Amino acid sequence: MNKILVEINNLSLIYKNKNILDNINFKIYEGDKIALIGTNGSGKSSLISVLNGTRKSINGEIKIFNKSLTQLQNKQKINIGTIWQDLRLIDELSAEQNVNCGLLGRNNFLFAIKNLLNICSFEKAHKCMKLFLLNENLFDKNIEKLSGGEKQRIAIARSIIQEPNILFADEPFNNLDPKISIYIKDLLLSRKNKFHIKIPNTQLISIHRLDLLRGFNKVMGIKNGRIIFILNTNQLKKYHLKKIY
Amino acid sequence: MNKVKLNSASISIIPILVFIPILIELSNNFHFGGKTLFFDFILSSLRPKIDIEIITTLFLRLNETIFIALLSWFLSISLGIFFGIFSSDIFYKFSKFPIFLKHSVTFFLTILRSIHEIIWGLILLNLYGLDISMGIIAIAIPYTAINAKVIREQLENININNIKSISQISGNSFSSFLVIVWNPILKIIRNFGIYRFECALRSTAAIGLFGIGGIGTSIILSFQNLSFRELWTYLWGLAFIILATNRILKNLNIKDIHIKIKNFILIMLPIYFIFLIFIILKFFIKSNEVLFFLIKNILQIDYNFISNQLFQYTTETIFLSLLATGIAISLPPILLFTFNNQFMIVVYRSLSFLFRLIPPPILLLFLLMFNEPSISLAAVTLGLYNAAITFKLLNENILKNKNYIALKTTGASERLSWFFGSFIEQSKVYLTYCSYRADIIFRETALVGVIGSIGLGWQLNESLSSFSWDEVSIIILVYSSIAIIGEITNGKIKLILK
Repeated sequence: MNKILVEINNLSLIYKNKNILDNINFKIYEGDKIALIGTNGSGKSSLISVLNGTRKSINGEIKIFNKSLTQLQNKQKINIGTIWQDLRLIDELSAEQNVNCGLLGRNNFLFAIKNLLNICSFEKAHKCMKLFLLNENLFDKNIEKLSGGEKQRIAIARSIIQEPNILFADEPFNNLDPKISIYIKDLLLSRKNKFHIKIPNTQLISIHRLDLLRGFNKVMGIKNGRIIFILNTNQLKKYHLKKIY
Repeated sequence: MNKVKLNSASISIIPILVFIPILIELSNNFHFGGKTLFFDFILSSLRPKIDIEIITTLFLRLNETIFIALLSWFLSISLGIFFGIFSSDIFYKFSKFPIFLKHSVTFFLTILRSIHEIIWGLILLNLYGLDISMGIIAIAIPYTAINAKVIREQLENININNIKSISQISGNSFSSFLVIVWNPILKIIRNFGIYRFECALRSTAAIGLFGIGGIGTSIILSFQNLSFRELWTYLWGLAFIILATNRILKNLNIKDIHIKIKNFILIMLPIYFIFLIFIILKFFIKSNEVLFFLIKNILQIDYNFISNQLFQYTTETIFLSLLATGIAISLPPILLFTFNNQFMIVVYRSLSFLFRLIPPPILLLFLLMFNEPSISLAAVTLGLYNAAITFKLLNENILKNKNYIALKTTGASERLSWFFGSFIEQSKVYLTYCSYRADIIFRETALVGVIGSIGLGWQLNESLSSFSWDEVSIIILVYSSIAIIGEITNGKIKLILK
């Protein structure tokens, strides 16, 4: 059996007297590719922000890499990647500088200065951007000048260049056209490394479009902050979906 | 290698390079002459002198300080409102006054603003002798001009159609005008005017160093006697007043502050007018003879002074303000970029408070224990004082935002997450504030120049001491011109940043 990377026991999150997440229990094994589905406001984003450690006032236990989430050091956090729904890119920087920000945890202060001044090596960033079908002429453009879809791919590239072991992604296919969405989803779910860049082996990705489910080995349904089901994708039936939609 | 690409964040830290020439000059001039005094000064901070005599003096001097600050603040706020309205476009659209008046008032205010309160203080001190009212006027002059500028800029944002529609209902355009401008003016008093009181306190302390009165006078006297324990009693007293003011102003209930201001104005108005009339009468009785004396002397211009020394002092002053501005802009973000943890934040905060507390001339005198007077030393003094202010701004206003959180989750360190996540996003606002600070730094060169044998400030003091009014007028003219050019340049920079 594969190694457990994430273990959640009795997790609850209460905000303004409302149960955002309610008694959540599940495990993520190494190699799992889990699609997280549910309606708007069902708790998908909250679950992801709890898992990456940004929502702190919680009850229950979260273990990542067999350690309590609160005890994780920076060098362990490097192995957790997040793609944010609101992208969280830095407007003042160019596309390539933004992608390189994914390497800040793995590099020293000098790298940060060089990245700020635009004099560091962008070789890896360029490879990563090409991987997500970004044209060379966009590399040194400021983020403000890019389209929604381009920004989305920059945000994905920033997480992938980090080469994490586990990826939490909050609706990463938003803003992308159907063809590119499928291409990127297949790329993320493929177990092969591309251009010597390690694609995370374990992923929890929230999605809205059910046509993107193919390729995931598990699917997790969430409603009103409660996990309704966790199934192998091939076991998913219409009545499961009716429970959450 | 790629071409260097600048953005507002890198522009904020690149000026740190000014430390290269500064450190070279400082290391050449370094000496250990003041080692004993230095330790004595530091140790005295922990055991200030406390006896009946000192505490009584402290109490009286703090009273004087608050008195000068309060009156100069009140004078500058009320005159600032008057001149702010009188120099705004909107006023001329609703009155029959000719527009050239607006330009004349604006120009007049620019001149008043370009000269630091210390210079006003030194001039008034030499013309009228030691008197607390000179301190009040010296601070009120540039403060009035600054307040008027802020009020004018705020009034320019008013939609003129609002006044037109109200005047159609009321039939009186002047009263409609007053109704419309009342709220923006109260807003400025609330957001900016109240903060100016703390500035007035600091200015009073600084101006006191030149003998005008208040806590500053006691500070400089103790320093000259090397009575550091006494000096620290006064400094901690000043710190207490500044902290208490800060606390009181922060705790003012924003919701009913309008009512408070209204009540305060109603209570203060009669007292204020009596005092204003008293000061003005006193000023004018002496002014006739002084003006006659000034006009007679100003016309006897010494052209040798202009050709020989003026250029050198002007260049020194410009260099001094450029170096000090470089330090003030870059030091706080660089420090937070390099060492950013809870312990270091406490250290920075304490240092920032200390550098804001110790008036720059005292800091310079202290640094002179280890170094010869030079542009670099003056620049470090002025730079550290202003960096303490820019640090306070950075620390209080740059919040840990979403980008900061995003970078923290990637395992990036606190300092890198702060810089790339929080600072970069708000660096434009920071630079805009710094360009405003650069104007102030130029004016403040007089503060350290007088002590540090540098630039126009030093020459001004010399000329004032020898009653060379022709030189004084030229120096002020040069000061004023450079300040105005600087202000125009900074205005353009602010526009680019927007």
